[in-house]
Amino acid sequence: MSELRPRRGATLAGGGAEAATDPDLLRQMQLGNESAFEVLYTRYGGLIFTLALRIVGDRELAREVLQDTLLRCWDGREAYDPSRGRVPAWLVGIARHRAIDLLRSRPHQARLREREPLTGLASETAQPDATDAVMLRRAVTNALQGLPTGQREAIELAYYAGHTQAEIARVLGEPLGTIKSRTREAMERLRTVLWPLIEPTREVQARRD
Amino acid sequence: MTDEAAHPTESLAAYALGTLEGPEGLRVEAHAATCPTCGGVLEQYRAVIDALPMALDPVAPPPEAWASIRAEARRRRPRADQEAGLEKQPRWRRAVGPVLAALVASLLVWNVVLQRELTRREPGPAPGPEVEALSRRPGRLVIFAGTGKPGASARLFVAADGGPGHLAISGLTSLPRTRTYQLWFLRSSGSPATGGAFTVNARGLGWAKITIPVALEEVRAITVTEEPAPGSVAPTGHDLLRAEAWK
Repeated sequence: MSELRPRRGATLAGGGAEAATDPDLLRQMQLGNESAFEVLYTRYGGLIFTLALRIVGDRELAREVLQDTLLRCWDGREAYDPSRGRVPAWLVGIARHRAIDLLRSRPHQARLREREPLTGLASETAQPDATDAVMLRRAVTNALQGLPTGQREAIELAYYAGHTQAEIARVLGEPLGTIKSRTREAMERLRTVLWPLIEPTREVQARRD
Repeated sequence: MTDEAAHPTESLAAYALGTLEGPEGLRVEAHAATCPTCGGVLEQYRAVIDALPMALDPVAPPPEAWASIRAEARRRRPRADQEAGLEKQPRWRRAVGPVLAALVASLLVWNVVLQRELTRREPGPAPGPEVEALSRRPGRLVIFAGTGKPGASARLFVAADGGPGHLAISGLTSLPRTRTYQLWFLRSSGSPATGGAFTVNARGLGWAKITIPVALEEVRAITVTEEPAPGSVAPTGHDLLRAEAWK
């Protein structure tokens, strides 16, 4: 098996790989730098696996989603334009769609997931993390926990199960109009609480990139 | 933003979550593409949605996962070697290729210009009534994924009884005058056919009436690339958006 040899210029300076921005990593990956790919995996592999596991509920399937997502990132590295979007949102988007596709291809697994209580919010004992990330994690957790149960179910069935509004109405046994209203009210509450926290981090990230 | 008739307030959140299907989703997308208020709210919704996984208890991937991913990436790796191979071509061949390409492009570009004049529509007033009328007719909704552009997406609606298609785009970057986005229909056999060129506004939103140049049954993929203005005779940029499954 051949090595992924970096082409000329494809090195990350010294031990600074871990500090490189996401666009830097993608640029290095475009030059064939496997170390940059590994840093990207270290940075986001846990997030992707966690999300995939939450959606499919099976470690082996979640690992399949993780692998598909990272390989799609690797295959698409030449086409990726770092100036045009945030890498984690890209990766999470790929992972979520792949996981939901996988879940839909296994109706039995999907039915099992529907019956499970919608829990899994981060606990206070979550692993140590960067300060900003911890603060945002706590804010997202609190915001979700602060939603009325019906609103939180509507959001989680949409996001983690990939259900349409009509499917959510069927699963919860509620009128479609009720589900739409709950979804809107929930997203408005989340936006009110979280956007003021998210916006500054996006600006800082944009300046770094 | 309280008038539901003027702004699809009730549906915008569901749309951001990707849970609106068919004509309703198309109507919301068309509106958000040209309404700064709803476009701004939609952007904020999407940022909030991107943060939702942070609320999950972190679970570490299996220790062997990276080795497996790396091994598969190495197995796929041909790009660098292929590109290195190009450098072994004689110098004259490397020089002649671009010249020939430019010559062919200049001879055929009139066709693209013509198509562009027929199909291009600047992002402007909301095409709501037109879209709503179209979306009530039987047809196909083609959903594009942002393969080369994170967060970008597009929806192409084609009525079953033919006529022009309508393309709603979000998440692309506004381009300088010398560049344009171009829609391509990649046929199972034969050269790619263009559906026209289009631009997006400063918010990355756009709307275009599209000529469907070939029957969708003959098409294996539909893509969007960035090209030199006013357009190319064949795709030269990477795929930014791509749709493969719509049948």
